[in-house]
Amino acid sequence: MTRTQPWRKALIALFVAIVAFTGYHAVRTVSDAIYWNAHRDEPIEPWMTIGYVAHSYHVPPHILHAALNLPPTPDHRPLARIARDSGRSMSQVEAKLTYAIVHVRPPYPPPGPPPPPAAPSRSASSAR
Amino acid sequence: MTDQLLELLTTYGLPALFVAMILAAAGMPFPSSLTLVAMGSFVAQGELSFWPVVAAGSAGAVIGDQIGYAFGRYGGRPLLAAVTRRIGGADKVEQAEAYSRKWAGWGIFFSRWLIGPLGPWINVTSGLTEYPWARFIALDVAGEVLWLVIYVSLGRAFSDQVQTIASLLGNLTWVIVGLLAAVLLGWKLFGRSQAPGVDPDSSRA
Repeated sequence: MTRTQPWRKALIALFVAIVAFTGYHAVRTVSDAIYWNAHRDEPIEPWMTIGYVAHSYHVPPHILHAALNLPPTPDHRPLARIARDSGRSMSQVEAKLTYAIVHVRPPYPPPGPPPPPAAPSRSASSAR
Repeated sequence: MTDQLLELLTTYGLPALFVAMILAAAGMPFPSSLTLVAMGSFVAQGELSFWPVVAAGSAGAVIGDQIGYAFGRYGGRPLLAAVTRRIGGADKVEQAEAYSRKWAGWGIFFSRWLIGPLGPWINVTSGLTEYPWARFIALDVAGEVLWLVIYVSLGRAFSDQVQTIASLLGNLTWVIVGLLAAVLLGWKLFGRSQAPGVDPDSSRA
């Protein structure tokens, strides 16, 4: 018994570590569930598309297109690429989107309808 | 790294999903749950269709699993044989193989979708213990399709909260893996001997 005691101690230490690890993830699971239930806005990430951000934040996509000076046609590029293509940083893109999102939600008036697709190059100054 | 990979997935869609699932199943660290839930969200937004996503994703995952299996069978097994020839222990290996044959089927099936982080390891041990390939691939396909259907459906149902759902699924998976490990180890430590502190192996000998 004394011969195997160190092994047993090591295994008990491992057992405690596993229980702690499980507890940590259990707490995080619960906090995710609360977060999910509260339906809070998710942070904007570089892989997201404009369509996804609009969908996630429940705002019309044309608002976000306008905020980035893009035509209101569907754009499937991830935000990181939009940022690179337009010479902005990701945080600038994120800031512009966040600003636009905040300004179509109450207490601000609801957004207007999307512009007609054939509209001439539009000024997005109002959304900035 | 993660951001760039997810960016490729957003840009190239299904072909990128296929390749990503091969690499993830072969053991490359990759946020596959976030990927699948995000794909489900794109399905909800009408940018992708459900079954092509499931087909491309599970096809990639099944191919990736074969890489691990082949690695265990054709790389690991000769290595193991060489080791047991030198230092012995072939009987221990045989014991482990018998044990593995008994439980591997469950392990293969559940590590596809419920305890995903164990998947790449189970692939290698299945090859290492020469688990019959026909059965391996049948369980593999069933498990991977189930995984894709569950995760993509969750992404589709809760399409506006992809990151929260993926994080929840990831943490929940680790809780299940942790509970499993705790129960197995706890049983070995405290379960088999009546009096605590008496080592079951020494009392058996």
